[in-house]
Parts: sequence; C-alpha cells; structure tokens
Amino acid sequence: MVETPQEVAAVLAAHHRRQAVQAVLIHAALIGACLICLYPLLRMISVSLRPGDRLISTDLALIPAGASASSYLRVFKETEFLLWLWNSLVITCVTSFIGVSLAATGGYAFSRFKFPGNKLGLTLLLGTQMIPAGMLLLPLFLMIMRLGLINTYLGMIVAYSVTSLPFSIWILKGYYDTIPRSLEEAALVDGTSRFGAFYRIVLPLSTPALSIAFLFNFTQAWNEYLVARVVLCDAQRYTWTLGLFELQGQYLTQWGMFAAGSFMVTVPVLLIFLYSSKWLISGLTLGGVKG
Amino acid sequence: MASVTLRRISKRYQEATVLREVSLDIADREFMILVGPSGCGKSTLLRMIAGLEEVTEGDILIDGKVVNHLAPRDREIAMVFQDYALYPHMTVEENMSFGLRLRGLAKAEIDRRVDEAAAVLQIKDLLKRTPRQLSGGQRQRVAIGRAIVRKPKAFLFDEPLSNLDAKLREEMRIEIAKLHQRLGATIIYVTHDQVEAMTLGSRMAVMNGGIIQQVGTPAEAFFRPANHFVAGFIGSPTMNFIDGAVAGGMFKSPDMGFKLPGGTRASGPVILGIRPEGVCVNKTDGSSLSEPVPAAIEVVELLGYKRNLYLKAGEKRLLATVDASFDGKPGDTVSMSLQLAGIHLFDQETKGRIG
Ligand SMILES: Nc1ncnc2c1ncn2[C@@H]1O[C@H](COP(=O)(O)OP(=O)(O)OP(=O)(O)O)[C@@H](O)[C@H]1O
Ligand SMILES: [Mg+2]
Repeated sequence: MVETPQEVAAVLAAHHRRQAVQAVLIHAALIGACLICLYPLLRMISVSLRPGDRLISTDLALIPAGASASSYLRVFKETEFLLWLWNSLVITCVTSFIGVSLAATGGYAFSRFKFPGNKLGLTLLLGTQMIPAGMLLLPLFLMIMRLGLINTYLGMIVAYSVTSLPFSIWILKGYYDTIPRSLEEAALVDGTSRFGAFYRIVLPLSTPALSIAFLFNFTQAWNEYLVARVVLCDAQRYTWTLGLFELQGQYLTQWGMFAAGSFMVTVPVLLIFLYSSKWLISGLTLGGVKG
Repeated sequence: MASVTLRRISKRYQEATVLREVSLDIADREFMILVGPSGCGKSTLLRMIAGLEEVTEGDILIDGKVVNHLAPRDREIAMVFQDYALYPHMTVEENMSFGLRLRGLAKAEIDRRVDEAAAVLQIKDLLKRTPRQLSGGQRQRVAIGRAIVRKPKAFLFDEPLSNLDAKLREEMRIEIAKLHQRLGATIIYVTHDQVEAMTLGSRMAVMNGGIIQQVGTPAEAFFRPANHFVAGFIGSPTMNFIDGAVAGGMFKSPDMGFKLPGGTRASGPVILGIRPEGVCVNKTDGSSLSEPVPAAIEVVELLGYKRNLYLKAGEKRLLATVDASFDGKPGDTVSMSLQLAGIHLFDQETKGRIG
C-alpha cells in the first residue's frame, strides 16, 4: 500500500521515469528506422555530386569535396533523359487514372451489389496477387503482342493498370464497406441517381482509400522495370527505368549519371507522397450517422 | 402534400415473407403511425414507399398514381433515417440544400428555404458546422430540416427519435407534433415507442408478423383493441390476460369466476383482458366491479403518483396499478376485483375481439 505523501511522490516519480525511458527508446527506434531508410537516398545524392574522378571513393560526406553538378548536366546532355521521363510520366499518369477509376467502380460493385460470383471474384482477385510477377511476364507479353500493342504506351498502360487492379479493388471495397448504406439511400431519396449517390457521397468520403490506391498505382508504374523491358524495345519509347539501365555499360558504368538520374526520378514520387499524406490520414471520420 | 395508398402489398426475400397483403389508406395531411415489435416489417414497408426496396406484389400509390416503378427521386417524398444519415463531408447548410441543388433551384430560393427551416428548427447557428460537430439532438434536427426544405409530398420517419435520450426524445416529440400542425404535411412515422405511438399520430397501424393487425385512432387501439395482439402490444404496462370460458353470461377460470355485464355475446373458451388500471384492490362498489377474490401481494413498485402491485390470485398472477396512497406490503392479502367496463374478451382460437 502507498500511504504517506512521500511514498506517493516516489511512486509518481518512478512512473514518470518509466515513461521517459519508454519515450527515449521509442524515439531511438524510430530514428534508427529513418536512418536506414534515408541512407541509400543520401548515398545517392552524395554519389551524384561527386566529381568524375572520385566515384568509387568510400567517403561518407553528404556533400563530397569538390562537389559538382556535372553528372546532372551530363545526364541531360548525353542521354535522352527528358524523353524517358516524359514516357514514364505519360504511362504512369494514365495508368493511375485508369487503375483508380476501374478500382473505384469495381470495388463499389463488389461492396454494394449482390451478383453471382461476387465472393469468388474477390477471392480470385486476391489469388492473382499470390503469383510472382515474373511468372506473369510471358503470358503478359503474349497478350500484349497479340493485341498488337508491343512498343506502345497503350500496351504499357494496359499491362500496368491491370496488374495493380486487384490490390486497389480490395482496398476500396474494404473502405466502401465501412460507409453506411443509409447515406446513399438518403441521397437517392434526396434526388440523386444511383451513380449520383456513388459520385457525390461515396467517392468524396473515400479519399483516404482512393489516395492509397492512387499512390500504389503510381509508384508501381513509375518504378516498374521487368514488364517495360518486355513490352518496350524502341529506345524512343523507353521509360526512365530502362533508360537509366542503359547507362550500365559493358565496360564502364556511369555511376555519377546513374545516381543523378535516380535522384531526379525519386523527387516526384517523394513530393506526391508528402502531398497525399494529408489525404491518407483519414480526416473525414464519418460523423453523419449515429455511432 | 398528398395521399398515400397501399394496395395489398407483399414483400418476399428468397424464402422469407416479410409483408403479407398490407393495405392502408393514408389521407392527405394525415399523421399515420406504424407501430409494431422489432422485425415485423415496419422499416421494410416504409422503404418500399420510399422506393428503396422493390415491391414483390401489390401497388403503392402516391396522390392516386401508381409509383411502384418510379425511382426514389421521382416520388417526391422525404425520409428521415434512424441513424440520421447526414452527409459527413458537407456542412449543415449543404446537407439541407443538397436535394434542392440537385433539382436546380435558384440560389435565392434555396437560401430562403434553408433559412426558414433552420429558423423553425432553431439550428441557425449551426449552419456552417459539419455533422460530426453536432450533438445527437442537433443532428436529428438537421435531418428533419433536410426533409422539410424539399417540400415533399409526404414525409417518412423511421424511428427518428430512438437514438436520443429520454428527455431529448420528449422535446423532439413535441417539436414533431408542432411541425405537423405547422406544415400540414402527410407523415408516415415508424416507431415502437408507446408514447410516440399514442400521442403523435391521428391514426396508427399496428403491425405484427408482416400483417396489419388494426388501423385506427390511438383511442380505438387502446380502448377497443381488435385482437389479442393489439391489446397486449398497446398500453404500458401490458394488459393482463386470463384464460377461461364464458357460459351463460358467466366468466369462469380456475382462479376466479364472475358475472359479465349484461348483453355479452361471448360463449365458449375466451381470453379475458384487463388493463392494470382496471384491477381494483380492496374496493367494494357493487355493480361496476366483478366478484372480489382474495389475492396475495408479491411485489410493490412505487412509480410516483401510481403504485404497481404484483398480485397472485390462486395460481394466476396479475398486475394492478393503484394510487400511490395504497399502503399494502408484500405478503399482505387483499381483495381483488376487476372493473367490468374495462374487460376485453378475445376468442381463444382466432384471437379476435368478441366483446
Ligand atoms: N434483405 C433482407 N433479406 C432477408 N430478410 C430481410 C431483409 N431485410 C429485412 N429482412 C427481414 O424482414 C423482417 C422485417 O424487417 P424490418 O427491418 O422491416 O423490421 P422492423 O419492423 O423495421 O424492425 P425494427 O423495429 O427492429 O426496426 C425482419 O424479420 C428481417 O429479418
Ligand atoms: Mg426498422
């Protein structure tokens, strides 16, 4: 039993100490994790800034001695970097748009409508996620070829949006399931069509799930290499992943340019993540219905 | 405003029949209560009128026109949901004006109607808030406001007050009654709250097992219940029932027997019903009361002005509601009699009223 004021104070002090120790441990773990994540990125920046003669040095300084932007300039001057970026950007944006649109509507059907094969369909979608991407490469190549879409944006867009679709549908279906149906029913009675209820009520409430689906589609398509390697053969159509890989010469790899290019393609993804994090934190907790 | 007519409506899900041949005429400007135990199909019926649920058989008419195949938006009705169903991503004002904006009304007209409804419901200061910044009662007002601004042909309420605490429910009940007077609207109101059912409506339809048991004014349902179910469902505390038989104008059960008032047509096995207020204790008033029988007091509850006595006469347990001034204790034996005017008789077979 704790009785005297001194004893109470002692217990409280012990409690505060424990809390402080906990806080320190948690922060240490988080900082450690951050460092592990950031290290490759910092190395990349560091390598991209090195002057041409010190690429393989083990120097750890972020800004190396004699830092120069020459690698960046050379990427633009000596390669088709801008073209690759443009190709990647077109393919990624269209893919994300199509992927999210299909998943948003498909997930809605799975969430709200009873139809034969609803359960089976969802299970199959999940099943496709179990198959390693490499195994799908050949069938995908054959399909794209038969469709006559080899070496086209469209071929890439089809391949990418289809492969991301199962995951996106699951995310969105799960989120829709948490939105009370009475909201849509209220909208129907208020005067929307079925699609109107989806578009005006369900979609705006689903921004967190939509952003996750978008980010997933975007990063998948932006960073993808294998499928691109198979579908694209003309250097004019290369995405940046193929393009940068070209820098890996037989005798000499242009590490400086490689790092500079890598850094530049990382920036857009980082910015998108930072921007969309505010949507991800599900700010719109449903307050419209009781509960 | 408009009349609503249901013509032999049935509703089946795969194997389960939820509503059977429900027919109901709701006049223009009438306040109709749908009341019944949980699962009896009240919400289903309401949702069918709204167009949210398909009709398996029968016709729904609004203003004399069959609307079975009209989408909800073309029926010009408004519905207030049990869980309010306010749009979380819109402000109160946007919630209320949503239906009007969809119909492309002029901005000035929309603002006028929203202002008017907000004034009536006293939610003017809340217009810029979102639903999650509101209390339960405020959300309820907004949900009603969203219905009012539409000026619909009929209002459908599905247990709108059941999520509120007792005091707020009382306030809102009075608000809704006032609202009906002010708007002169056709209202169909689902509830399983006794007080709401008795006080709000001009008529009520008592439902059980997907069938309408009785349609009538609250007084009719209370004083002349059409059958055993209505008698037991309407009124709180519940009516006492005594199984017995009538022969030659005499009621006889294992635990009591007495002469029924003259002119009873009943004979054979019956269920006798008597409300707790009709059970008298230690009263001798000759002609208006039945033959007294001894009864033991098992439990006494003080309710304020009234006292509930749980009595046991022979093997039969009965509830009596008496004045609070009565000072019997558990264990006491009293003389119990029934008010003859308060006696209801139901057929044991059909459960229908026979006198
Ligand atoms: N989609 C459905 N499929 C099968 N049965 C259903 C479906 N919807 C409702 N039911 C059944 O229909 C019956 C009536 O339901 P309903 O919601 O109308 O009851 P209620 O009278 O509103 O009850 P409560 O007072 O609890 O709200 C219930 O027995 C319910 O199980
Ligand atoms: Mg219900």
